[in-house]
Amino acid sequence: MRIAIVGCGQFADAHIQEVRRIPGATVEAVCDLNYHMAEQAAARFEVPGLYTDLDRMLDDVHPDVVHITTPPGSHLAIARKVAEYGAHAYIEKPFTATAAEAEELIECATRAGVLLCVGHSYAYDSAYLRMKRQYEEGLLGEVVHVDTVMGYNLAGPFGAVMMGDPTHWVHALPGGVAQNNISHPLSLLLPFLPDEQPVVSACGLRCRLKRFGDRRDRFFDELRVTLLGRRTTASLQFSCRARPVQLYATVHGTKAQATASIDSRTLRLVHGASLPGPFARVQWAYRDERETRRELRRSVASLLRARLHFFEGLHELIRRFYLAIQGKGDMPIPMMEALRTTRIMEEIFIQCDRQLEES
Amino acid sequence: MTSVPTGIVLVTGPTGFLGQRVVRRLAETGRPVRALVRPGTDSGSFDACLSGVSNPLVEIVPASFSDLAALRRAVVGVEAILHIAASKTGSAASQVANNVVGSDNLFRTAVELSVRRFVLVSSFGVIGASQLPRASLVDESVPMDPHPERRDPYSFAKHRQEALGWKYHREAGLPLVVVRPGPIFGPGQPILVGRVGLNLFGLFLHLGGGNTIPLTHVDNCADAVVKAGLVPDIEGEVFCIVDDCLPTSRQLLRQYRRQVAPVPFVRVPFVLLRQLARLNASYSRRTNGHLPPVFTPYKVDAMWKGQRYSNDKAKRLLGWTPHIPMEEALSMTFAAQRRSC
Repeated sequence: MRIAIVGCGQFADAHIQEVRRIPGATVEAVCDLNYHMAEQAAARFEVPGLYTDLDRMLDDVHPDVVHITTPPGSHLAIARKVAEYGAHAYIEKPFTATAAEAEELIECATRAGVLLCVGHSYAYDSAYLRMKRQYEEGLLGEVVHVDTVMGYNLAGPFGAVMMGDPTHWVHALPGGVAQNNISHPLSLLLPFLPDEQPVVSACGLRCRLKRFGDRRDRFFDELRVTLLGRRTTASLQFSCRARPVQLYATVHGTKAQATASIDSRTLRLVHGASLPGPFARVQWAYRDERETRRELRRSVASLLRARLHFFEGLHELIRRFYLAIQGKGDMPIPMMEALRTTRIMEEIFIQCDRQLEES
Repeated sequence: MTSVPTGIVLVTGPTGFLGQRVVRRLAETGRPVRALVRPGTDSGSFDACLSGVSNPLVEIVPASFSDLAALRRAVVGVEAILHIAASKTGSAASQVANNVVGSDNLFRTAVELSVRRFVLVSSFGVIGASQLPRASLVDESVPMDPHPERRDPYSFAKHRQEALGWKYHREAGLPLVVVRPGPIFGPGQPILVGRVGLNLFGLFLHLGGGNTIPLTHVDNCADAVVKAGLVPDIEGEVFCIVDDCLPTSRQLLRQYRRQVAPVPFVRVPFVLLRQLARLNASYSRRTNGHLPPVFTPYKVDAMWKGQRYSNDKAKRLLGWTPHIPMEEALSMTFAAQRRSC
């Protein structure tokens, strides 16, 4: 498969590295509006094609798949062009800036007969996949509630750049930094929440000092969301202050509870205890310890076998997407799921915006 | 023959370690300075740097390198630009975005507004030292690295930035002067730089052995940058900036352990280091990046092949001399580090 990358910011590196690990896939070209950005990616990864014009790149390279790793405000325009050209597209999260854009894009892809895959890559991390398997095998019972937590470091590599530049594209998103990130925790909870339109309730806090006098002072750095389905509920916590910074999902089932941590790449199942009285306390702790020990053994074995790649989820999602394109499997994330996520995100940020206006 | 610039000097990165000293040096001479800061930067950052300077003519101008209109306003009326701002952390892509894309806008604006002198503070990392035989002299005559992508992200981005500066010099007449300082040290900055070794889980791996460390004290370096902005008729020249009486890595570590803290260390000889670098690069390749290639033989050769350094050209053409002797500079730095320990 001939692959092209559009948008050569730092996350494009991860895409190029992971595509190169997939047998039969080669990165044929990189494209960025800025020549220096395209050139640095081409030079470091020895990519033969280097473009600053998307149309020219499509005409010259004839890619089968285009990975779009540009800011979300440009996703619709680029992906529409790619779809009309007849190539499939992997689109980094968030899928689009608005739900209307997502609808338009899916219509366009459907008309063109191509597939779009949104980059909800953490949903393909091995710990999370193991948790989903446990659910499918009936170990957790029926899902009652899902908790997801995502931490974010505003002083981290991306956060510092974004906070140092009032013109950074993140500040143009209606939900700011949260909008660029919460599709990840949403992608972990939505597979357990079957309702097409759950009742959304969102609120936020802005805990940092106002010191810029521009959009960097506006967004919520703490966000709390609840989703109410017919039989299942979910909550999402996005925090720029809680430490350690981590992403995890806990599924509360009618039989057991499971937590999949993306950062530690571990899965912890909580069965509770069956023994009576004070013995239950000991049994509970023993079962917890056994779970922890099993995960430690698994982590050490993975380390020794060189299987702890940082972008494991991204690799798996890309691999499954390429198989779906070749008719060898289902779409890992159906396009309608990308639309459902975008609609819920839009509702969250409408409510946040209302709260910000009132305050 | 060009005359000495006497008008406004624009300094980028004025709140950084080197930038603050450069602003102070200029202010001390009574020269008007325009300090280009990121929007939202606290102007109080200059209070300490300018303390004791009477009537400093320092104007603080917030502008992002990506905001062409704001950049143009900042450069209007400027006679010389000292471009010191640099991003030193993050991925190669983000460092190129910060160091190269922004510099492109600044180079272009400087050409359009006919700035008379443009000093780019580059880095030793751009020099093609890997290709040189053992114990070679590293100076301005050594060509730029032909494979900066095999080095670290910072060297790669600085290479691209300097190469772009030279392109503007050749094709658009940018009056460029390049200053390549070695690792800059001084109070408030770690002295055990990467060329000496690295801290691994509390144990210091001493990689530098008997190699000379091309240090420059921040005040000496600031003098060189200011002179590069003001000395006439040096457009198109490069200057490697290192102090006199450079210590070896071994001497530096010994003094540090005596005067600051007795850090536990293990010496890694060059032959072993090169084998480890080979192993690191090969493991990284075989496992598709399970561990990043932190050390590669190419990088090891660039830094630890017994290179020697010269500051003759800077002394000759800039009339620069490191006014703080190495012994005194190290002793001040060690004292500051002792206090912060």
